[in-house]
Amino acid sequence: MVLTRLGSGLRTRPSRRTVSTAASALALCWFFGFSIADGASSVAAPGAIRGRVELRQPPADHEPRPNVADLGMHTSHGATDRRRSVVYLDPGPRAAFDARDEPHARMDQRNETFMPHVLTILAGSTVDFPNNDRTYHNVFSLSKTKTFDLGRYAAGRSKSVRFDKPGIVRVFCEIHSHMSAYILVFSHPYFAVTDDQGRYRIENVPPGTYTAIAWNEAMESQSRRITVADGGEADLDFSLSRQ
Amino acid sequence: MIKILSLTALLWTLLPSAAAAQLLPSEPVRLFDGRVRLGGEVSATIGAKDDEAFFNYTDYERNTLRMFRIALSGVWQPAARVAFLGEVRSEDLEQPGAYAAYIRVRPWPNVPLDIQAGRIPPVFGAFGRRRYQSDQILIGYPLAYQYLTSIRADALPATADDLLRMRGRGWRSSFPVGSPEPTPGLPLISAFRWDTGVEATWSTPLFDTALSITSGTLGNPRLRDDNGGKQVAGRMAGRPATGLVIGGSAARGAWISDSVPHAAGSHAQTTLGADVEYSRDHWLVRSELVWSRWDVPFWTSPAEGSTIGALARWIEGRYRLTPRIFLAGRADWLSFSTLTGDMFGETPIAWEAPVRRLELGAGYSVQRNLVVRAGVQMNRRDGGRAEKRTFSSTQVVWWF
Repeated sequence: MVLTRLGSGLRTRPSRRTVSTAASALALCWFFGFSIADGASSVAAPGAIRGRVELRQPPADHEPRPNVADLGMHTSHGATDRRRSVVYLDPGPRAAFDARDEPHARMDQRNETFMPHVLTILAGSTVDFPNNDRTYHNVFSLSKTKTFDLGRYAAGRSKSVRFDKPGIVRVFCEIHSHMSAYILVFSHPYFAVTDDQGRYRIENVPPGTYTAIAWNEAMESQSRRITVADGGEADLDFSLSRQ
Repeated sequence: MIKILSLTALLWTLLPSAAAAQLLPSEPVRLFDGRVRLGGEVSATIGAKDDEAFFNYTDYERNTLRMFRIALSGVWQPAARVAFLGEVRSEDLEQPGAYAAYIRVRPWPNVPLDIQAGRIPPVFGAFGRRRYQSDQILIGYPLAYQYLTSIRADALPATADDLLRMRGRGWRSSFPVGSPEPTPGLPLISAFRWDTGVEATWSTPLFDTALSITSGTLGNPRLRDDNGGKQVAGRMAGRPATGLVIGGSAARGAWISDSVPHAAGSHAQTTLGADVEYSRDHWLVRSELVWSRWDVPFWTSPAEGSTIGALARWIEGRYRLTPRIFLAGRADWLSFSTLTGDMFGETPIAWEAPVRRLELGAGYSVQRNLVVRAGVQMNRRDGGRAEKRTFSSTQVVWWF
């Protein structure tokens, strides 16, 4: 069971482990996604899940390698917001798979930073990677979910990638080692990214009992059961620890 | 050597599997709230022995195609405008040495001027600052930065024939004046040691300007000055378009050791360089040209005078075939000025045997910070006891 695996104690690096376990969870979510969640009803009024994800030890910003060959101070780069977490249902309600569109999402490159640092999309989405920086960037990923290399392109240009498979995609810049980002690809729309205070809200959830998972790149993922009443709002908080 | 090869083979096996299991760190280690950052690199290169032609030997008498290297670098930044930087390296499991150790200061917060003092990165050229194996696209080094010519700072030829006799023997040359011990000669520029001194850099988005004063020379960087003069080196590089960097460098410094008896006067290594890098889409192309001249106080001066010169030029390129696979190649030439002695019937001949090198390679990224490479390198030399050699080598590089 995915939930058991997420809570188990494999001792690897925090972000890596989180990636691999959550990727497995997303993949299985996609695989088993057509199963009906406990008690879900297609005629009842949808509800919502809201809450807060607390990070006990917020992860530090990404830093460049200590390149002693530089002839001067490295120009400062934008801060990477690694406090963003993602809460999602696993598996999603059946209704989630009835309709699909092919939306576009956007991940900017500005001040040697990917913005946003965590992007959540539906499978089938296309993500644009505009370069709004002063220098070349080379966006690439070696993730199993999606492997791609957009090559080097200048400011003002944009390239796109379509993500068809659910899972976690870690994105890097080949030129700037401190640039990285995450794209979480879901097969259903029941997910939300936390705001500055760690709050989230998942809308339009059909009534039923679900498993919700909170993910953060540097934290141990946490799963909890939650019941959404007919047209009601369910509160669910998480507290994530470093691995 | 058996121990090193065994360890290299072990790493070849373990590193990819450890990476696949996500056991290896991929980001710099942060300590003390980010004021200290540590990074590192481990590279293991397996290639055939070369105990006859010595095409790839360094001034540390190691073979770049058959080397195990561990490097640990760190930055301590106690204040926003002050940083201490250093790197410790061990090659072939020998005693670690300080490759870099210096302080970096930005005197004024809004002025892009940085001053560095200590064992500092080289100002000259472009390749010398690509210290990580992961920054390089091939396993081998360009001839200008690695190939050992026959001249030495601690021993001098007394005649032109003394120098001509050593053609193609830079891996272990000897001369009658100075140290009688046969030791490796000097490359045009050493990529394996950094010089000691002070440098200032002015950087803007469009160009960089750097100037340094150091103890040694490009070919013989030193911790302490033993040659009676400082080297002055400068570089200007511009970025006229995105992805394009064009640079020009110059350096001049006394190069003969004080331990060698020689006539007073200017005995300098003078070097000029030009470099260009262009990248776009999945292509990366770099080229560099280095011209160097040494004042040699021959006791019996040849007709051409008392200077000898060398010209190195190379061009390399990389193309990313897929996100994981890339192809790379480099064409490299190193030629020398001519000299007339009695040895070759008073016919002018290059004082050192010219070398040509073609290297082709391919790489595979197991993950972002773990790359496996393989290459073949063809060398041709117009002299020496072995004139042709082809080497194949493989390398695994992991960094964080």
